Amino acid sequence: MIVADQLNKHFKIYETKRGFVGSMTSLFSTKHHLVKAVNDISFEVKEGEFVGYIGPNGAGKSTTIKMLSGILHPTSGKIEVSGLSPQKRRKEVAKKIGIVFGQRTQLWWDLPLRDSFDILKEMYKVPDAKYNQFLKLYDDMLQIGKFMNTPVRKLSLGQRMRGDLAAAMIHDPDVLFLDEPTIGLDVNAKTSIRAFLKELNSNEKKTILLTTHDMDDIEQLCSRVIVINHGQLVLDGTLDDLKQTIGLPSVMEVQYRSKPENIEPLHGIEKMSWENGKLILLYDRTILSSPALLQSVTKWGEPIDIQMKEPEIEEVIRKIY
Amino acid sequence: MNLFIKLVSGSIRSQMQYKINFLVSSLSYALIMAVDFILLAAILHRFDNVKGWNLYEVGLLYGISSVAITLYRVFGVEIHNFEKYMIEGEFDSLLIRPVSPLSLLLTKNLDLSRIGGTVQGVLILAISIIGLSLKDFDMFLLLVYLPISIFSGLIICFSLGLLTATIAFWTQRIKDFQVFTLYAPFNAANYPMNIYPGWLKLIFFTVIPVGFMNYTPILFLLNKGGTVWNLALPPAVALVFLFLTLRFWQFGIRHYHSTGS
Amino acid sequence: MVYWILLQKSFMRNLQYKVAHLINNAASAIFGFVFIAIWTGVLQGKESESPYGVLDMTYYIAAVQCILWVSGFLTAGLNIQNGVRNGAISLELVRPTNFFLYVTSQEAGRLVYNFFFRSIPIGIVFALTVGFYVPQHVPTYLFLCISIFLAIIISINLHYLVGISACWTTEISWAHFVNFTLLAGLGGQFVPIDFLPAPLSVITHYLPFASAIYYPVMIFLEKSSSSVIFIQLFWTIVLTIMNLWLTERARQKLEIQGG
Repeated sequence: MIVADQLNKHFKIYETKRGFVGSMTSLFSTKHHLVKAVNDISFEVKEGEFVGYIGPNGAGKSTTIKMLSGILHPTSGKIEVSGLSPQKRRKEVAKKIGIVFGQRTQLWWDLPLRDSFDILKEMYKVPDAKYNQFLKLYDDMLQIGKFMNTPVRKLSLGQRMRGDLAAAMIHDPDVLFLDEPTIGLDVNAKTSIRAFLKELNSNEKKTILLTTHDMDDIEQLCSRVIVINHGQLVLDGTLDDLKQTIGLPSVMEVQYRSKPENIEPLHGIEKMSWENGKLILLYDRTILSSPALLQSVTKWGEPIDIQMKEPEIEEVIRKIY
Repeated sequence: MNLFIKLVSGSIRSQMQYKINFLVSSLSYALIMAVDFILLAAILHRFDNVKGWNLYEVGLLYGISSVAITLYRVFGVEIHNFEKYMIEGEFDSLLIRPVSPLSLLLTKNLDLSRIGGTVQGVLILAISIIGLSLKDFDMFLLLVYLPISIFSGLIICFSLGLLTATIAFWTQRIKDFQVFTLYAPFNAANYPMNIYPGWLKLIFFTVIPVGFMNYTPILFLLNKGGTVWNLALPPAVALVFLFLTLRFWQFGIRHYHSTGS
Repeated sequence: MVYWILLQKSFMRNLQYKVAHLINNAASAIFGFVFIAIWTGVLQGKESESPYGVLDMTYYIAAVQCILWVSGFLTAGLNIQNGVRNGAISLELVRPTNFFLYVTSQEAGRLVYNFFFRSIPIGIVFALTVGFYVPQHVPTYLFLCISIFLAIIISINLHYLVGISACWTTEISWAHFVNFTLLAGLGGQFVPIDFLPAPLSVITHYLPFASAIYYPVMIFLEKSSSSVIFIQLFWTIVLTIMNLWLTERARQKLEIQGG
């Protein structure tokens, strides 16, 4: 479905000088240094796969997605999406892919959601019958019916994201690129969007490439993970591969009223340490569930504060090195 | 075409949600245009003519140029404010659609508050034509040609707007350039070109060809000089200029594909 | 003195956008040449009917194009509207500094910058091409300084008025355009106001717009008596008091509504 072959994207960054003469000469100067935003990346995504494309900020994730969708042209290398080159046949590829940017909406800000859909229907030349089918199906899956007639600017972030997701599916694309679709959403909204994406992948057999900072997204959705850093591919495998390489410990921080006497080690706790009077527990949730650990923690002593943390992608990537 | 109707009607409904704002903006714009013309009328009322062009004759030039630029401001609002697509990175979302970015821009929005300016320009044209009291045949020719002149003006104005917008692919900001490429030339085109020194005239008949849209044809239509070719030039120049501008725009988009900024 | 520091900082910040300013200056000069050409066309052979000849009008337009940068092209609403939109204004209004002076001194810094890097370069362009008037009498220079100073205060006040109105209306861009049109149109940017038809001409002489652009230019060209400074002084006082009062009202409104 998606092929990236020895993909490179280099940017020239021109140096600007200070001062009046400097800013004038830098207009014409050719002094620059090369930034390799994407550096020799190759991968292939098969039909129906759900791939997490992760890496720290500035790793080249967005640049890759922009190249796959035809916004940017690669410096060198080959791309195929649904068998077409997005560089040479951008408009045809646009009809076969759906894109969602979590940070910005593609809906018409002042118009009701339905109007945005109507416009997109015309833009992608979707036949009436198919369009009605779409409206029904996606109301079932995303419950967008209730706010179909509300102007987009009045929707909550979660509602808007559901609207954006539906809008990206209007022309029934085979491939979906999702750039941080859960960013800034509350837990409920995240859950419903994940359920939707899962359904989309398993029932509708859509191929999905997802970038995210949320490890939960990856754990719950992706059958495969591609990790990049500094523009280079560092890992391409299953979630288990990722876990085996770095482990994905969850973190629980417990502050006790008084330091407990006897702490029994549990199967699944990877590391235990004291920091600033807090007990820090690193544990593997696939072996030891959070409620089970919580129970033990309260057995050991009287906690005044308990905090749970999920590992940040940044931290995960750092561990790979 | 269906898409165009949907987009335009959507744009109109968007603006109607802010009724008071729309009303105030239309009124303010009408006032701005009115003050502009009152000043012109005041000078010509006092001094009778500018280098042999009386109030009604200048009114013709003024009307054509202001109808052309206000129509551009109505339909080309997203082109005119193109720098926001560069600064806020919105241009990406145009490139993911199966339609060309230019048609998306042209249909994304209409600035209806500028229509008042168009109406005012048409009114000035009407007053000028009545005031001129031309002979039957001259009058007929003028009335037939006026739409062609306005349309050529609109094309030239649109091309200048698009040309300036294209610069944003390199510089991001274009507001400063617009003073150069749009505001000053169209202000100048309100008056007959023969009052300008040679170097300005050269600019207005070459790189910023605003002289062709009204001065060239009106010169002939009012029997002030020129040949019948003066009537063929405006649309011809407009189309050639549009063609070159579109090429430049394509070049700008290719640049964007490779740099993304 | 905190306001002096704000003025300096604003001056320095403006130093950074030079290329854009070069383009602006060139455009300003072009506008001037277009206006001069129009007046030359209008006045040719009719100088006897007019109080001003072609040369007078050339000097007039050149001087106007220069002064516009210190008393015409100010920041829309002095950016007060942004503070209203993002709520920062409630913080700024309760600061120990005077809000009115806080905002106006920053704008003043920009105008000082404009004077050195726009008015003077544009003036030089005109001096080298079409000529620039030089006042003949020594007192003119003193009156000119006072007149420009008052013109700046009046214009800052007019823009402040537009900006502070955002506390009640939120959208000010059109108020700004109207204000600017009146300032340019009735301030004599293109047509000296004594060329306007009779009733309009008399009224505009006493409006604040003439005080912001027309009078300093006429004093510079030594075509107007220095007594017009009293009209400027009148508007300076009236507008300042009005704005201080409106600022107080805005503060009360925000305190009651909590922003």
